[in-house]
Amino acid sequence: MKNRLRVLRAEAGWTQAQLAERLAVSRQAVNALEVEKHDPSLDLAYRISVVFGRPVEDIFENPHRPSAGG
Amino acid sequence: MSVFASPRSAAVTLHTQRYVVRTLGFMAVYCLLNMAAIFGVFDAWIGTPTGWVLALAVALPIAGQAWALLRLIVDSDEFLRVLWAKRVILSAGVVMVVCTAWGFGESYANAPHLNALLIFPLFWAISAVVWPFVRSSR
Repeated sequence: MKNRLRVLRAEAGWTQAQLAERLAVSRQAVNALEVEKHDPSLDLAYRISVVFGRPVEDIFENPHRPSAGG
Repeated sequence: MSVFASPRSAAVTLHTQRYVVRTLGFMAVYCLLNMAAIFGVFDAWIGTPTGWVLALAVALPIAGQAWALLRLIVDSDEFLRVLWAKRVILSAGVVMVVCTAWGFGESYANAPHLNALLIFPLFWAISAVVWPFVRSSR
């Protein structure tokens, strides 16, 4: 799932391990999210949303939402 | 739901360490029982019905190893949980295919007989090849 996680993490100045600590997951999970090898559960998506203080759809692109031109 | 309550990364390391310790423990029992059998400790049992006790005793650490792997999967986060499950299913699938093909090879192609006890080391040998390629939860 396309996302802005790496950009947001860089803006926050966190390492993958630091973000993993805040999300209560492994560093591997954070890396998998960033390289789009893992689609997060709703629970994890909400946790990420809280950590960055942004709505979920600001972080993850909703693949089911019709595009503006569509 | 608290975001900051659980030091999960430390817990992941702890779960991995527990898995390694459990694996080493079960494999030590497995090796010790087999070495004892090889050096004749159980010679009086071999070839008698009591030999089944020895056979089951050697198999029990395998059950323990499976339990340790299950605990690791249960205790992991959502990404690692899927990764471990995919790896184990893939390895078990390859082992089943190889063993089935070999078994029929013995019947239909005069392949030499292989001991069923080789399935466990075969599973880990195949795992060593397969696991590095399973990197996605999809």
